[in-house]
Amino acid sequence: MRLETLTMVLGGMLWLAPGNMHAQEPRLEGRLPDAARAQVNTILDEARAAGLPTEPLVDRALEGAAKGAAPQLIVSAVSRLRGELGVAREAFGETASLAELTAGASALRAGAVEGDLARLKELRPGQPLTVAAAVLADLVAAGVPVDTAITAVMALARDAQDADYVAFRRNVQRDIALGASPAAALGVRLQAATDLAAGPGGETGSTTKPPRKRKP
Amino acid sequence: MAEHDDTIARAVQALKEPVRIDPSLTSRVMSEIEALPMPDGTAGRATVLEWLRRPRTIRLSPLGGLAMAAGLTAVVLAGSWFAGPRGTPAPVQGIATAQFTQPIQFVLVAPEAGSVTLVGDFNDWNLTATPMEKEAGDGVWWVTVPLEPGRYRYSFVVDGTTWLGDPNAPTLEDEFGRSNAVVTIGGA
Repeated sequence: MRLETLTMVLGGMLWLAPGNMHAQEPRLEGRLPDAARAQVNTILDEARAAGLPTEPLVDRALEGAAKGAAPQLIVSAVSRLRGELGVAREAFGETASLAELTAGASALRAGAVEGDLARLKELRPGQPLTVAAAVLADLVAAGVPVDTAITAVMALARDAQDADYVAFRRNVQRDIALGASPAAALGVRLQAATDLAAGPGGETGSTTKPPRKRKP
Repeated sequence: MAEHDDTIARAVQALKEPVRIDPSLTSRVMSEIEALPMPDGTAGRATVLEWLRRPRTIRLSPLGGLAMAAGLTAVVLAGSWFAGPRGTPAPVQGIATAQFTQPIQFVLVAPEAGSVTLVGDFNDWNLTATPMEKEAGDGVWWVTVPLEPGRYRYSFVVDGTTWLGDPNAPTLEDEFGRSNAVVTIGGA
């Protein structure tokens, strides 16, 4: 074998091999059956190729494994989350953080749509979106209708800091725990928050738009 | 002695006289430099290329061939190891991960429990990674976990088998037939 031929073969293999070899997530070893693990690894590869974070996907697979879920249920859950992270990335942009994408995916799961997340970003330029999106999902989890929760989060978007969102959600949850209906609790707390932001006779910079098309 | 002094005096005098430099020295030196070939390495590269392209015959014993194949495999695996996401995944472009953490305390009242562990997105849902401590006598189990800003799903596992949500936190149905509690950590 000629030396130059050998060199070309070696170089070609080195160049091609890392990109073509299937990346393996070591934390899945021993936690998932081989077939399901291979499928999850494929989804992780796709996420990496799309520039999406893989950590939430690995977490979802490990959660399913810890709970003894059926392998195909785990693969399905990971695949669905990968799709939601992709939509969140489209809405929040290329510079969105891992936490923002995860929270955005939670909001989508709660019933928001990509346009809602895009509008949230538009209303909070240069501000972190994690807590706002997470509170949206939390409010829906607490029983607030999704359209109402979206309207409230958007209404607070311009002026509220993360701590304001957290306090708002806590107050709504407390009212619900005391017996108020979720929608009524949210309405009362939203009115109080916007009044506070407006000051006496003032007007907030917040805008509320009618809810957009929801998921079926 | 006087003769030596005279010699020294003349030497000192000679050293004190200004040095006369030919006015054309600078231009002559620069001309010489410009006449030299540029050190661009063209000749060196040509030599290397010639060496690389010169045909050779190498003789390999079967054992040597196997050793070369094994070495090549090792190099390829090492390449994929560094390129792939083993261990800590390489950060994805545009994904910010460096954040400050906050200590978050998780509490569960379970007087009858023999052990309680915390599992969630922050510990790979590992059933043994985050055991909770019991306050003496009152059945309150607690653990503090440093968390970066974000939204985390979690559960308590009592006695290694019973999954419980957090009665003090929002609860979500998961996709696996159970439910999780949720905690949101603000960054501002």
